[in-house]
Amino acid sequence: MSFTRRTAQLLHEDHRATLTMVEALEGLIVEAKRTPPDTGNPHVQNILKQTIANISQEIGGHFSFEEDQLFTRLAEFGDEAIGEHLREEHQAMLAIAQQVVDLASTALATGFDNQNWLLFKTFAGELSERMFTHIQKEEMALLPMLEELLDPETDMELAELFSQGQ
Amino acid sequence: MSSPASFLGGAKDRLLPVSIPFRFFATACVFHILAWLVLLAGAESLPGFGGETGLVLAALHLLTLGVLVLTAMGASYQLLPVATLNPLARVWPTRLSFWLIVPGTLLLAGGMVDANTILLYVGAALVAAGLVVFAFLMADNLRRARKAMPIVAAHGWVALAALTGLLSLGLILIADLSGSFLNSRQTISQTHMVIAAFGFMGMLSFGFSHVLIPMFVLSRALPERRSWVQFTSAAIAICFAVAAMVFDNQYLAVAAVVLGFCASVIYFHLMGHAFKTAMRKRLGLSFVMIKLSWGFLMAGLITGFAVALDMGIPNGSTLFGFLIIVGWLLTFLTGIQQRIMPFLASMHTTGKKGIPPLLSELTAEVPLKIHAVCHVVALVFCATGIVTDNTYFVSFGAAAGLAGAIAFAVFAGLVISKLRKKSDQLT
Repeated sequence: MSFTRRTAQLLHEDHRATLTMVEALEGLIVEAKRTPPDTGNPHVQNILKQTIANISQEIGGHFSFEEDQLFTRLAEFGDEAIGEHLREEHQAMLAIAQQVVDLASTALATGFDNQNWLLFKTFAGELSERMFTHIQKEEMALLPMLEELLDPETDMELAELFSQGQ
Repeated sequence: MSSPASFLGGAKDRLLPVSIPFRFFATACVFHILAWLVLLAGAESLPGFGGETGLVLAALHLLTLGVLVLTAMGASYQLLPVATLNPLARVWPTRLSFWLIVPGTLLLAGGMVDANTILLYVGAALVAAGLVVFAFLMADNLRRARKAMPIVAAHGWVALAALTGLLSLGLILIADLSGSFLNSRQTISQTHMVIAAFGFMGMLSFGFSHVLIPMFVLSRALPERRSWVQFTSAAIAICFAVAAMVFDNQYLAVAAVVLGFCASVIYFHLMGHAFKTAMRKRLGLSFVMIKLSWGFLMAGLITGFAVALDMGIPNGSTLFGFLIIVGWLLTFLTGIQQRIMPFLASMHTTGKKGIPPLLSELTAEVPLKIHAVCHVVALVFCATGIVTDNTYFVSFGAAAGLAGAIAFAVFAGLVISKLRKKSDQLT
């Protein structure tokens, strides 16, 4: 995918950052398997901190921007279905993401016990799978639509709004 | 509550009923088992196989028509409308083509075992009719495509031209069994094989790679100019290969292999570009199979080069065909199929809270791992058996292939049963 509109480029960069986080989470799960990882390990700490930061600071803002600024515009152009579907996915993922943040925060403070690790693996695994499919849909469908629909003025206005929200 | 299929924004009409692609994929799994089973029964004839009737010819066509072509048809019916941004003109002909080609392939393969002309004629007529329906649907879709990905469409047109050629030669070969009018039956059968493997299946797999690989790995678009160079060199290589067969010219054969080699290297470079710019780095077992298939493509071309230069590889022509058809094309398609089936299933189901189920809920990893191991064992043992003229190696390889095919069918069955559980749309 190559995008010429600034808004699409910014969303694409955000997707890339989120997928980097998702792959780091997957790596943590694969490496640790059943044994909870040592949260005193700087590598593990770093992944957990980045996950918390990415979810708390970026994902929420990214979703809000899409819902408030993009899906409404797409609906005006007569395409409500895509916004409705992606919005439902946002809601489902935010609930899972919040669980991941809570468990990661607890783990950073007190470490993982077996039960917390099992829960973390379940939620982080589901989040990473859903996030990948969701990003795949946005990259294949939403961003190409923005390329077609946005005029240069609206594009600049939206890009500025997105940057302010981040 | 929204439909998962709506995400492509306007593409809902380009998403076929799930039963269409899945009937092709599921039946291909059955033919996959049958092909290895028949090869196991005829293992002793594989090393010296030269296109004559018997169990190996039957196994070959169960594999090519039953597995490769059926999978290509199912995938093309679903993917071409998405790539060309044009829905199929009608859906019912896709079902018709299925009901023509499936019994046709069974009868044709049955007729090939002992050169039964009635079975051969009826089977060939049904297969030809099914492929003509497929060709018309694809040609109509490509013709109407205005905003199509031109590189995919170009590959599609060459594949359709090759389909016409391979079908004509196949019918001539069958007619020759009772009429014996061909001067060199082997020339026609080798040309038929080259057009089928490279012209039809090869061009489809190259063409769809331009859409599927970037989509799976979330990469940047492939460089356009290099893509056209790859397409042109592949198309010319096929023309040279056909000319080499027809005129029995060694120089043309060498030129065809060299051009095919260049086209493949550019293709790998394009795929490498996709991997380099991919947002997704963890790609799983399906990509192990896909990359392995590319290794077999190169091994096949190197063997083809040695055969063209008469370098004396024992049973070189058979090895060449085996590496290309089973090593490259079958491995590539199983890699793609194990990725596509759960993805398509997820597009047609609604999980908890109205959002699609996880892909991991719709797949089955263990059967796929068993298939991968058995498939590699089958390839290594059959190839060794061909070169060493050893029936035991071929038999062991075919038995491993059969076990792998059964495991792959278990995977497909589990995907379909999970899809059925989550949706009533499979009708």
